[in-house]
Amino acid sequence: MTAASGDSRLAADRIRAFELAGSAEELVLATRRLIACDDPLATVPHLVQVLGFNNPGAAVAAVDGLIALGPAAVGPLLANLDAHNYGARAWAVRALAGIGDIRGLDVLEDALATDVGPSVRRAAARGLGALRLESLSVEERQQVRERCLAGLESGLGDGEWVVRYAVAVGLEGLALPLPPGHPHSDRAEASLGQLLDPEREDTLVVRLRAGVALKRVNAR
Amino acid sequence: MAGNGEPISEAEALEQLRQTDDQSGQYYAAWWLGRMRSRHPEAVPLLLAALRQRQPRDVGAGVEHNAVARNAARALGKIADGRAVSELLVVLDDADDGLREAAARALGELRAVEAVPLLTRRLASGPDVAGANRSDSPRLQEPCEALLEALGAIGVAEPDVLAVIEPFTGHGRPLVRSAACRALLQLTGETAWADELLQLLQHPQLQVRRAALMDLGAVGWRPALEPIRRTLAENSLKLIALRGLVENGSGSASGSETGSDDEAVLMAMDALL
Repeated sequence: MTAASGDSRLAADRIRAFELAGSAEELVLATRRLIACDDPLATVPHLVQVLGFNNPGAAVAAVDGLIALGPAAVGPLLANLDAHNYGARAWAVRALAGIGDIRGLDVLEDALATDVGPSVRRAAARGLGALRLESLSVEERQQVRERCLAGLESGLGDGEWVVRYAVAVGLEGLALPLPPGHPHSDRAEASLGQLLDPEREDTLVVRLRAGVALKRVNAR
Repeated sequence: MAGNGEPISEAEALEQLRQTDDQSGQYYAAWWLGRMRSRHPEAVPLLLAALRQRQPRDVGAGVEHNAVARNAARALGKIADGRAVSELLVVLDDADDGLREAAARALGELRAVEAVPLLTRRLASGPDVAGANRSDSPRLQEPCEALLEALGAIGVAEPDVLAVIEPFTGHGRPLVRSAACRALLQLTGETAWADELLQLLQHPQLQVRRAALMDLGAVGWRPALEPIRRTLAENSLKLIALRGLVENGSGSASGSETGSDDEAVLMAMDALL
């Protein structure tokens, strides 16, 4: 109890320091200190706020902090998604992709399909292969995986190599936990086969990544 | 209105490039054909015609024609059709340095050995003349970075070529130093030039760190993996640099086989997505 109130006081002090940060460097430092004080309820809203400040150093620190906090960060992230602040949205998608909470599924699907920024689409593609499904029933897992797979399959036609690269990573992540012969695994492998084919995929590094993914899936 | 960057088909792009009334349409069409690496039989002849559309340099007026010609030169480099070489060599002596820059890069992409004497001649006066600041713009007398990069890409490692490049490693501008080290590393494989580039990854200016990332990627210098990971720059650029390490690296696999070196770079890329 004493420890908890000590932490809260620490968090309050650091939030004040954060609000007073005057320069870009101070903000990065203040963000790192906020993350270190392990009080999600108090700090998450401020970390989410940092994503909209157009300070990449601080945003990287905030995304890492939000990913480390995990599911506790998802509600505030979703509640504060800013459709008009492009940069903030990109960082929020990265955080949601890193956390892997299924509440982020709608946002990840939408981002991969429609976002104008390749950096957002690539984060979303990776995220669609990294959702944590353990707590769901078998039927729910099937439904969520079906949506992830459909999104990744559409991403095969993305015009940017880095997004197709991330699709390969996403497909690997989706297929690895499945038993060989599972219909979703078969579909993921078929898509990886497409990314491996020089006739259909012109970027060497994408083909190489798809090859590594298939090797791992086959070795499972 | 194609000039506003809306998606067009290959047929529309060719049509837009063929007409000469709407130059913004031509400009976009030339870019589009290069970006799509069009293999249409009319693409190269039309781009060459657009390249010949260039005008004598007239400071402060009529740059629009040369904007089309610049994009045509860039597209010809991307399409990498040998028929473009002779016309690009002529452009390398154009009075418009922006056009010379685009032609040099295109000739580099085309690996045009014929361009080496001209490229070295334009740089031969060294950092103090070819590399001197202009009084009328922030540009240099010659588009040094593009000329140096082209020499590195073409790959003729003759002593007279190296002797022309080396003095530029002491140029006052870090971006020129970076281009010179990149070319020398490509031509000689000597570690000393890589060390210079690794130093530039820690330069206080982001623009310089970005250039050094691109240069190390273009060379495919595998030992740069860790320094690239640690560089303070956007993940997007680090991903491009690491792609270069995989695709251009010495000992890099061709086809779909990957070695453990490749896999280490790929895992570093995964972490940046």
